[in-house]
Amino acid sequence: MADTVTTAGVGAAEPRSPRRARPMSTSMLPRRSKLSVLVFLVPPLLLYGVAVLLPILQSLFLSVFRWDGITDMVFVGFDNYVKMLTRDDVFWTAFGNALGYLAICLVLQLGGALIVASLLTALPRARELVKTVYLLPAIISTVAIAILFQRIYSLEPVGLLNQILAWVGLENLQNAWLSDVNTVLAAVSIPEGWRFTGLYMLIIYAALIAVPKELEEAARLDGASWWQVFWRIRFPYIRPVWITTTIMATTFALRGFDIPYLLTNGGPGQASELLTTYMYKTAFVHTDYGYASAISVFIVVECLVAVGIIFLLLRRRDDS
Amino acid sequence: MFTTKRRRAFLAAAATAAAAALVLTGCAGGASSADPTDVDPEGEIVPREISWLLSRPADGGVITAMEQIADEYAEEHPGFALNLVTTPDRPSYIQKYETLAAANKLPELFDTDATPFAQKLAGQGRMVDVDLLLDDLGLADEYREAALNYQRFDDGSLYMVPFEFQLEFFWYNKALLADAGVEVPATLDDFPAMCEALRAKGITPIALDGQDQWPLERYMAYYPFRMAGPEYVQQLKNGDASFADPAGKAAAEWLYELGQAGCFQEGFSSTGYADAQALFTSGKAAVYNIGTWELSNLATDALDPAVRDDVDYFTLPTIDGAVTNDNEYVTPSGIGMAVNAQTYDPLVRDFLAFALERYPEVYAATGALSPTTNVETTIPDNATELYTRAVEQANDVGPKIAMPWDTQLDPATNTRLQQELTLLVQGDITPDEFIETMDAALAENVNG
Repeated sequence: MADTVTTAGVGAAEPRSPRRARPMSTSMLPRRSKLSVLVFLVPPLLLYGVAVLLPILQSLFLSVFRWDGITDMVFVGFDNYVKMLTRDDVFWTAFGNALGYLAICLVLQLGGALIVASLLTALPRARELVKTVYLLPAIISTVAIAILFQRIYSLEPVGLLNQILAWVGLENLQNAWLSDVNTVLAAVSIPEGWRFTGLYMLIIYAALIAVPKELEEAARLDGASWWQVFWRIRFPYIRPVWITTTIMATTFALRGFDIPYLLTNGGPGQASELLTTYMYKTAFVHTDYGYASAISVFIVVECLVAVGIIFLLLRRRDDS
Repeated sequence: MFTTKRRRAFLAAAATAAAAALVLTGCAGGASSADPTDVDPEGEIVPREISWLLSRPADGGVITAMEQIADEYAEEHPGFALNLVTTPDRPSYIQKYETLAAANKLPELFDTDATPFAQKLAGQGRMVDVDLLLDDLGLADEYREAALNYQRFDDGSLYMVPFEFQLEFFWYNKALLADAGVEVPATLDDFPAMCEALRAKGITPIALDGQDQWPLERYMAYYPFRMAGPEYVQQLKNGDASFADPAGKAAAEWLYELGQAGCFQEGFSSTGYADAQALFTSGKAAVYNIGTWELSNLATDALDPAVRDDVDYFTLPTIDGAVTNDNEYVTPSGIGMAVNAQTYDPLVRDFLAFALERYPEVYAATGALSPTTNVETTIPDNATELYTRAVEQANDVGPKIAMPWDTQLDPATNTRLQQELTLLVQGDITPDEFIETMDAALAENVNG
């Protein structure tokens, strides 16, 4: 297990390998085989078109109508978008919350993963055990996690978190974490961050142990501090992996839905409403398919912008 | 090479467009040609499997009774089967049913409340007229008036058959109230003082399932029902009344006071149904607002012996100058069963004739209140004295019903109301902010 991870990690962590692979890949596809390439590409592309592009087009189409699913569709032009951007305060709250959710998830998943992975490399024994324990939450079902955290956050009856606060003498900090509009967003983001920290930790750990030991030792002999070793040697080596995990974590967090939906259903008020839960409610609770489509179009745009920003950062780093 | 590629790209684009067009046209549900008033269609009874999409507890009285009746019917009509598809969680059910309605795929029988959505379906002629059906089956007079009225739309039309009859009470713990030195509240305005006295003794005044949101929405309905009668919410949902009207304002202020007096357990918004009930049945909370569907848990020896003798109930208190009587409160007949007009045929009619005739007897034998008046509820052997009292109370219910608002308002306004109510009771917003937000939401959703 450790061996496979290590080898996989070396390939991914080697910063120069993609540059070397590029000329080879073009030469491996001679001109005459383009037809066969096309034959193999068309089925997946069709599938992608039907499963991904078509629903997006459909949403675009539906978003200019008002439709409850049973009566005739009414063409309303851009009114759904006007409503979304100017008249609907819940939409903007949900958008702000989605960004907050993204930020908390990224800090927990990437920051947490990096810290745990770094500590793990310093651990002399029982690494496998620690890795397994950290990975465990990723395989628990979402509903179970939601119920678990509902108990942990509970105040009446007293849950784990408030009990611990009482034990250490911080009774005055006890709170109904899921009912307080100031804490609920963090409270619904933490389970999502917690469950996948182990997964990203595993990926980053694999990259970290592939960093050549000689370089680190040489640097230490030259008197480099712990931080310098990390920032000048380790981090540059794991940067490609870091970028991949950033993209993964960002896209997962942007489409986050299940835990907030199960824990609070967006409440109290709209304090933990995300764009995704709001869109779902608009479509399947309010049966306002047109407006929900307008929101989903916005989510598509939002994701494209996020990917664009990450690409931009990636290119800038490559240039440097 | 180049031209083939371009042609292929064009073909792919054309195929995609055609597929898109197909899907899009397929989406718009077609209206039916069936006649919803033809309750006795001609033709032969051909046994087949029919389905009932419902939202009731899987092992509850209604399903148990209907399974038994369907088996009896199938003995005489080989080939008949009743396929019961239940989704007890109401929000999930509503999503399922509305999506199926949009796809025009509703089964022979399906559950719905008298919601604006259901009224649209009825308006399209997709549901059989139940007034006519019950008349034709000769059963109309057997039903409790309140049970049928609960199912009616605002225009008085009836498209759903009731299968239950429930009374919603405030269950309370006599010992805890005595401990705090307070009486059962005589008016709604006595609630805040009661809560404060209980809080002072370290007792949770009222157990509330905040997670499901409808329980708190009941509290919103109480003050306006006493002050302005059942018409207020009917006018509200059409935009003819507003939350700023005296009844709405009084309700908002009352709820805000309840919150300020610490009436509900802390963190109520994330407490689920079972946890809220456990707060009451374990003797931690003094009051609990729930219907007679919980009789088997609250009025039998299933209840914890430590609190069993202390539990009692009172009905919705009045207010000064109330326009509704003390015996009028929330008396729902549960989610109703609609009959799909498009699949209605001699078999469905014949089965319903058999089932609705037989149902009250089978159902009442389980200890539940029948929506009809022609049977007596069997009191279970392990029941406490409260059980009999609650069952008898059903015969003394006035004609006006405090309708649950979640079945009345359009879904978008309803969602917003549920969210804002939590904030109002938690003290995160003031009554004036609440009214302003809700009136804006109402204006957007009713006219939009």
